[in-house]
Amino acid sequence: MMAGVIFVVVTITFFIAHWLPGDPTALWVGSHPTEEQLEVARKTLGLEESLGKQYINYISNIFHGDLGTSLRTKQPITMELSSRFSATFELVSVSMLLSILIAFPLGLIAALKNNTSIDLIIRGLGYAGLAIPVFWLGMILQIVFFAWLGWFPLQGRFSTDIYMNTDLIINTGFILFDTFVSGEWALFINAVHYISLPVITMSVAVVGIVIRISKSSLMDTMKEPFFTTLLSFGFSPQKAVTSSAYKNTLVPVSTIVGLSYGMMLGGTFLIESIFDWPGLGQFGVLSILTGDFPAIVGLTLIYSISYVLINFLIDMLYLIIDPRTI
Amino acid sequence: MKNFFIFAKHKNTTTVSILFLSTIILLAILIPFLSPYSDDLIGAVHLEINNQAPSLSHFFGTDAAGRDMFTLTLRGGLVSIRVAIGVVLMSVVLGAPLGFIAGVSGKKLDEIIMRISDAFLSFPPLVLPIVIAIALGGSLNSVMIGIAISWFPWYVRIARAQAMIIKSSDYVLISKSMGASLFHIVKKHILPNSISPVIVQASIDAGYAILTVAGLSFIGLGAEPPSSEWGLLITASRAQFLYHWWVIVFPGLFILFTVLSFNIIGDDLRDYLNPKIENN
Repeated sequence: MMAGVIFVVVTITFFIAHWLPGDPTALWVGSHPTEEQLEVARKTLGLEESLGKQYINYISNIFHGDLGTSLRTKQPITMELSSRFSATFELVSVSMLLSILIAFPLGLIAALKNNTSIDLIIRGLGYAGLAIPVFWLGMILQIVFFAWLGWFPLQGRFSTDIYMNTDLIINTGFILFDTFVSGEWALFINAVHYISLPVITMSVAVVGIVIRISKSSLMDTMKEPFFTTLLSFGFSPQKAVTSSAYKNTLVPVSTIVGLSYGMMLGGTFLIESIFDWPGLGQFGVLSILTGDFPAIVGLTLIYSISYVLINFLIDMLYLIIDPRTI
Repeated sequence: MKNFFIFAKHKNTTTVSILFLSTIILLAILIPFLSPYSDDLIGAVHLEINNQAPSLSHFFGTDAAGRDMFTLTLRGGLVSIRVAIGVVLMSVVLGAPLGFIAGVSGKKLDEIIMRISDAFLSFPPLVLPIVIAIALGGSLNSVMIGIAISWFPWYVRIARAQAMIIKSSDYVLISKSMGASLFHIVKKHILPNSISPVIVQASIDAGYAILTVAGLSFIGLGAEPPSSEWGLLITASRAQFLYHWWVIVFPGLFILFTVLSFNIIGDDLRDYLNPKIENN
């Protein structure tokens, strides 16, 4: 099933890549090429093959981890992407974790206190989260917390001087994890400081979605007979929710979390470019601005495959959180 | 249409949202005639008055080129409304008929349509519009087409689900038993009864279309100067926004409240059309 989806994604990407503007041979040989140079370029790029043959080459290259060469940096795209993957993955994971930790309880509270002023505030928060342009929010946070208050750094991932003075035992690229394991607290705190504003910016939209879905699914659960039974046994509504009813909301909430991952991956283009975060999204924006099409196609592929993989993992998670599936 | 007015009367939030959106549209149309700075809309530069804070002569201040932010921001509403209508119309026109066909026909055709449309959903939301927009040249229209292509599968799903429910409902089965043709059933029963969930989704998506286009303009796709699209106005001031907050605050607030209005109308409509919730 998952392999099928990935195959379809790869195929659509191939056709879009084919359809992209600009002649790749022209970018390859530079200005004023001779006829011979053009011929050589077409041969090396495999453009003289039939479309079917090109498609097969493309698929086999992907299997070998070869996504072509970036026109902008002249480096293999696989290398460019893998060196930036950890920065993006860290940003997205921390944001997702934070969003769920904030929004899930808020959604449950809103359902328990339906139509009170607390519910109204939480509902307003949800609405605002979904309607705020994230890039704008990021810039507003920079104005308030950097320019006015000076509490947080403007952009980047850590201070270079602290990084230089730090010895990391392991280097996975996930700076928070590495410093935590190595016990390098100075750099850890520094990195937390730097990641704060991007994480807040990225979380806002997902907080909005998760609040709405957790509230509405708890509201539905509270209408079910088992909930009334619990209440008739003398459970308070709060107790009934925290002891068992919350479990009924886990399936819809994790479905939405899976979809929200896609939203966050899209958000990296905007947020990484505002906060100068050295990840995939920033690379993507630079590629868009310079017309580096192979890089954009490679990035599309990586993003789509991660998105499919994450949703597949969440499908697996249902086996654990939904007892009916066993 | 008459029903819509009855609905709007019952929901204060919808009334406010509709008033807000109408005002935005009206001001966007009239601003070139009302504003003394209307030449800013066609790319005028007044460096002698650049980066001025909001004042009585410039309600929203001026940007780095000395353009009046009030005039630009209000005019931006026109682009955004065009974007909202364009994207939603394209998605609905592409998706809803496919969904109806899939739902009514069932079997093989249904399977094929659903597989194809689901394929588009396996891309993260912002990523597919970006590549499609680039492939089509990167203009505002190509961005709108890109978004519509990545959103139409949702309408396929909604329309299909609706068509399937109605197809097997008692009154349709009865009219079938009385000899009604498939065409008659689709026209008289399925289309009118399945349109409301599509409208709800369309209303919410109109807001997100504005949000998405603003985001893409921000990273260099879509609207181009001297357009006063809100996302573009914010990007244009990236060099000096840190110490001149007004150059980005106002366009952003306009995006926020416009999207909010569409969301609220969509949600209210959903509640109103939902038979499980009582409407007083």
